[in-house]
Amino acid sequence: MNRVVVTGIGVVSPIGNTCKKFWSGLVEARSGIGPISNIPTDRLSTRIAAQVLDFDPSQHFGPKRENLLDRFSQFAVVAARAAVKDAQLDITEEIALQAATIVGNGAGGQNTVDDSYLKFYGQNAPRVHPLSIPRWMLNAACSQISMDLGLKGPTYTIASACASGTHAIGLAFQSVRTGQAPVALAGGTEACLTVGTFKCWEALRVLSADTCRPFSRTRSGIVLGEGAAMFVLETRERAVARGAPIYAEILGFGMSADAHDITAIDPDGAARAIRAALSDAKVNPEDIDYVNAHGTGTTLNDKGETVALRKAFGASAERLAISSSKAVLGHSLGAAGALELAATALALRNQTIPPTANFEETDPDCDLDFVPNTARNAPIRNAMSSSFAFGGLNAVLVLGRAG
Amino acid sequence: MAIIDDVRSIVAESLKIPVERLTPDTRLEELGVESLDVIEIVFALEEKFDIAIPLKADEATRLTTSGKSGSQDMPFATVGDVADIVQKLVAAKVSP
Repeated sequence: MNRVVVTGIGVVSPIGNTCKKFWSGLVEARSGIGPISNIPTDRLSTRIAAQVLDFDPSQHFGPKRENLLDRFSQFAVVAARAAVKDAQLDITEEIALQAATIVGNGAGGQNTVDDSYLKFYGQNAPRVHPLSIPRWMLNAACSQISMDLGLKGPTYTIASACASGTHAIGLAFQSVRTGQAPVALAGGTEACLTVGTFKCWEALRVLSADTCRPFSRTRSGIVLGEGAAMFVLETRERAVARGAPIYAEILGFGMSADAHDITAIDPDGAARAIRAALSDAKVNPEDIDYVNAHGTGTTLNDKGETVALRKAFGASAERLAISSSKAVLGHSLGAAGALELAATALALRNQTIPPTANFEETDPDCDLDFVPNTARNAPIRNAMSSSFAFGGLNAVLVLGRAG
Repeated sequence: MAIIDDVRSIVAESLKIPVERLTPDTRLEELGVESLDVIEIVFALEEKFDIAIPLKADEATRLTTSGKSGSQDMPFATVGDVADIVQKLVAAKVSP
């Protein structure tokens, strides 16, 4: 079994498209949530989102390529290129033939869908854009990464809603650990902040009108976000041999399904995934110092997640530092787990715990240390990033220091 | 048809139970209503009466959590409460 390390990270996020900007936004609790400006809001009740505002596709793609890629694929390719560059990875023919490309995504090319349906149903246009299908399909992002970087190994998309990114990275970790692929490019992407998508989320009545306040007594729901994070994973042996920078080691991955409710979290199912990840990592609960929580900011999730952490960590839950990045990043669904793993890896590398921003009041139902509003310098030996998706699909990764 | 009867038939239809089981005093919690049922019922009422009922999923969850429904911060607990809310919203719509 190979040891697996993270050697490259690329992000496209509401707080910036470089790891440096991303990390400083998280540490300074500078929220990327703001007024919706990318789409018309006259028929929405929602006014806020965490949008990627600093992204001009023409800076990254020629006009012909740009036309082929929905926004979610554009984010994915830009993040993947950044990850490869960050890892100083030379994609030789040998690597290209074996490297795995695994991408998590929840919603596919929603901007393409929305544009097409607006024209067809709303404006009675006789036809839609001829490239609607290749832009829309859920695997478009991973296929575009594969084409852009010339990666020809096992390549596929994972859709498990809000856990997609974490599942994708977990599967890539397993591929490298078992030797199926020496290198993997993995992460998550999402860009579904369209009028149609907002209407559907509004109908479910889970969006906040205020902002995202995870684990705070005053929390009032989810704020949708968008973005992408991609990682280069490789064997530690290989990374050390080529003198690559190492952010962190991936120690373990745990998965479970609740088999319970299509939207509500089940603390038992979540706790099983946490335990499975700890067991896979051969790390004891007391040896985890930081948890980057799912922390969506709904009453139900944050309460259930607190119960799950207590179940899985026992007495050690009291000494955990826990934070949710969603107050800063919003909830980018299929990309969330990947962006949050980037936060977790950077926390390990910088030995700094990013805070839970927008925190107002302690909730008796969420009675753990959620590192409110202010970052904390503290030794982090091992860290965990968890995703608990709609549909009861859970995925948890355990990271250790580079050393 | 009185609003209460529309509400009864919408709740009955949504939960697939006989409408005769529902009186104004029937508590939603007793019917084994889950939070997603509440969201569907509210949607059906909004469609039927062309109104907007302010309700968040979190409230729907509390509403269906045994022992907690009917507390002061909850908009409704019984079938009759639902009809009252609909009545008010419909009245607000027609008044200038």
